Amino acid sequence: MQIELIFFIAMIVTFLIGAFLLKLPISLSMMLASIAGALVSGHGIPIKHLVEGTFGYIDTILVIATAMMFMKVIEESGALDTLNFLIVRKFHNNPVLLLILIMIIIMFPGMITGSSTAAVLSSGAIVAPVLMTMGIPVAETGAIIAMGAIYGMIAPPVNVPAMIIGGGIDLPYVGFTIPLLLLIVPVAVFTVLFLGLKYAKNFDYEQFILSSTNSVDSSSELVKSNVKEIKLFIPILVLIFLMLASKIAPQIIPNLGMPLIFLISAIVGLFTGKKVNFIQTSKSAVKSTLPVLGILMGVGMFIQIMTLTGVRGFIVDVALSLPSVFLYLGIAIFIPLFGAVSAFGSSSVLGVPFCLALLGKNEIIVAAALSFIAGTGDLVPPTALAGIFAAQVVGEENYFNILKKCIIPVIAIVVWGLVFIIFANPIGDLIL
Amino acid sequence: MALVYRLLVAFVLLFTVWELFDEEDLWNQANNALVIIPLLLRVLMIK
Amino acid sequence: MDNKKTASVIFLIIALVVSFIAGKSFSSMHIPEVIVAGPGVTMQKMLSDYFPQLKGTNGDAEIYILEGDKAGGSMLVLGGTHANEPGGYMAAISLIETAKIDSGTLYIIPRANNSAFSHNDAQEGSPQRFTIETEYGEREFRYGSRATNPIDQWPDPDVYVHAASGQQLSGSETRNLNRAYPGRSDGTFTEKVTYAITEMIKVENIDITLDLHEASPEYPVINAIVSHEYAMGIASVVTINLQLKGVDIALEPSPTNLRGLTHRELGDYTDTLALLAETANAAQGRLRGKTDEDLVIKGKDKMYVNAAKRGNLYVPFDENGHPLEERVGRHLETIKEITSVYTAKNENNPIIITNLPDYEEIQEKGVGFMLNPLS
Repeated sequence: MQIELIFFIAMIVTFLIGAFLLKLPISLSMMLASIAGALVSGHGIPIKHLVEGTFGYIDTILVIATAMMFMKVIEESGALDTLNFLIVRKFHNNPVLLLILIMIIIMFPGMITGSSTAAVLSSGAIVAPVLMTMGIPVAETGAIIAMGAIYGMIAPPVNVPAMIIGGGIDLPYVGFTIPLLLLIVPVAVFTVLFLGLKYAKNFDYEQFILSSTNSVDSSSELVKSNVKEIKLFIPILVLIFLMLASKIAPQIIPNLGMPLIFLISAIVGLFTGKKVNFIQTSKSAVKSTLPVLGILMGVGMFIQIMTLTGVRGFIVDVALSLPSVFLYLGIAIFIPLFGAVSAFGSSSVLGVPFCLALLGKNEIIVAAALSFIAGTGDLVPPTALAGIFAAQVVGEENYFNILKKCIIPVIAIVVWGLVFIIFANPIGDLIL
Repeated sequence: MALVYRLLVAFVLLFTVWELFDEEDLWNQANNALVIIPLLLRVLMIK
Repeated sequence: MDNKKTASVIFLIIALVVSFIAGKSFSSMHIPEVIVAGPGVTMQKMLSDYFPQLKGTNGDAEIYILEGDKAGGSMLVLGGTHANEPGGYMAAISLIETAKIDSGTLYIIPRANNSAFSHNDAQEGSPQRFTIETEYGEREFRYGSRATNPIDQWPDPDVYVHAASGQQLSGSETRNLNRAYPGRSDGTFTEKVTYAITEMIKVENIDITLDLHEASPEYPVINAIVSHEYAMGIASVVTINLQLKGVDIALEPSPTNLRGLTHRELGDYTDTLALLAETANAAQGRLRGKTDEDLVIKGKDKMYVNAAKRGNLYVPFDENGHPLEERVGRHLETIKEITSVYTAKNENNPIIITNLPDYEEIQEKGVGFMLNPLS
């Protein structure tokens, strides 16, 4: 048995003992597993390495914390309920169109920012009440949001995994738009209809109107006045504007970065609707994200120790040493699984070597398809950022219920992605 | 911009420390302490 | 104070202690390793002499100037563009400590991205330093990062747009010195450093520029010279000469659609002949196993041996690996060849370097024998 396998088993066993036997939080279990890996490989407790690993997610922490602040503010200001009411009123007659429109809305922030978390916590939060109002159960709603966020992250114009894979093989990020759209659009439409249509078709609009007037929610009161309605949506408009502006006119609008954009939009939201206590809202936003932030810290340590001890190399070695017939199987299994680190990490560590192993096929098609498959990594525990935050957005206690609903769409992604890889050359000839 | 982001990290750090003291569960306190470390080192621009 | 508060205080103290220990370790990376100027060094300058805005920042870098007694051409050698590619900067440091110049002038920037030496990349498990044995004792050198330290340039944008071309790269590439040429005086920290280097090349009328790099063994451009089209005449002869000497090396034309790199932008924006050289460094690869000082210096890795057997690599890789002396030796031999081919083509403008050991001697005696005593 290879020594790295022993280290890996020691880390996994420690994690399982921590998480399931001792019932420790995932973050602490990951940290203990990292320490165990360092100890058995003769590194002692390398504090420098453990802390350094957490820095892989420092920017992600800020996106998550500020996006959650934004979400809580627009929730409490009444903007979400009002928008829900308006969307349902306008589109209740055509559920297919409504669902596809909702999918595009979920994807939008991910397309602009390249972050699935940003999508879940902004547009995901906006459409969640709409979907649930339409009668779609909580788990299916969460799954639609999580999947939509991943499609958004991979969809053009900004696809960071494709840029990472391209960067590893000197492939400029040019010519990806059409291949990515061909990969994503069919699967995204399938996903939202597969998960939502059978419920949305049976939606009882009369009942909805009755219940929303019964509850006399102050938000539907707000709807009566058009002026207030627009004011209520200002934070969302500011968010969209800031996201787009630095991309469209980089010379005029400096790149503020996602965390600052979310924070500015959240602050704007304090003055545009129901009164919101910013300090309390921010505190509760940070509180609700702390378990996930902790998990990211634990995962950061885990991956640093895996790299230090050679376990990461061992995993890449095993993935690449699959006989060529199983290479595609390797892509289908290892890239999503390694996404437990993050979709970005998986793209770099496995996406690049797999792309190199497939040289000779159309590189753009292969890199686009690999980035698509890598996107599913954001659903893999323990990080599972898209799944965890989708659960928070819809109020589902156990995010595994959402992940279960994502299985079929994920299989669709992997199969469709593999079709593109296998037929990369003819597809490339056809569209590029 | 770096200064703005330092303030932003300090803002998140503040709430994280606050939550550490408000948190009831011992292990969740440990989890919060874990998050404090990188935030603190970045606010101080050490790493 | 109740139990809950006590526990909070204890956890906070633990977090502070861990932060202090880790912080001390991270801060130690800001202390530069000593470079001992050798017999050929006639002058020392800083990048800020060419772009004063850099003065006092972590981006200011030393320039060692070796001027010969006889007039001639000029060459700039860049080491440490990527601070995790020690074959490049150790070759530059060896030149500073050993070489003499007969004709012409040699400019050497051993830590082109000085900031990148002050940190390691997260989740890469890199060692902070490595030790080279010399006949005078041990010398320690830092193993840094591919990119500028985030404490000097932060935050990264979602997407890095190369200013001169509009090319889009992933956001973290905004801190990659070799994607930031020709640079901007009002740009990011990294762009300011490349701007200073470009300015220096223009002011000093540098004839040839060679950027020393290393690549991971699975990267297609490896054990290679990458040449701007204007430098192809020299690069092709250099490649043939090196091959005749038994140094297996390939020649790659600088792609026109890959922007921000030295071999593209310096060739386009200045009159210098722009070249880049790559050797094989397992310590920066994605397939590598255990990551430590040994891997950096000895370059042995069983995962790469497996990968070579499968045909996943672009460089031969056996149990002997690619040790630092081989990588530094290749770079120094390339420099020697470039100057001699250049001199043969420009007899009135010669660049003649002396006192450099040859490839075999470096392999035999190691990098340490080119380094000077510390005091």
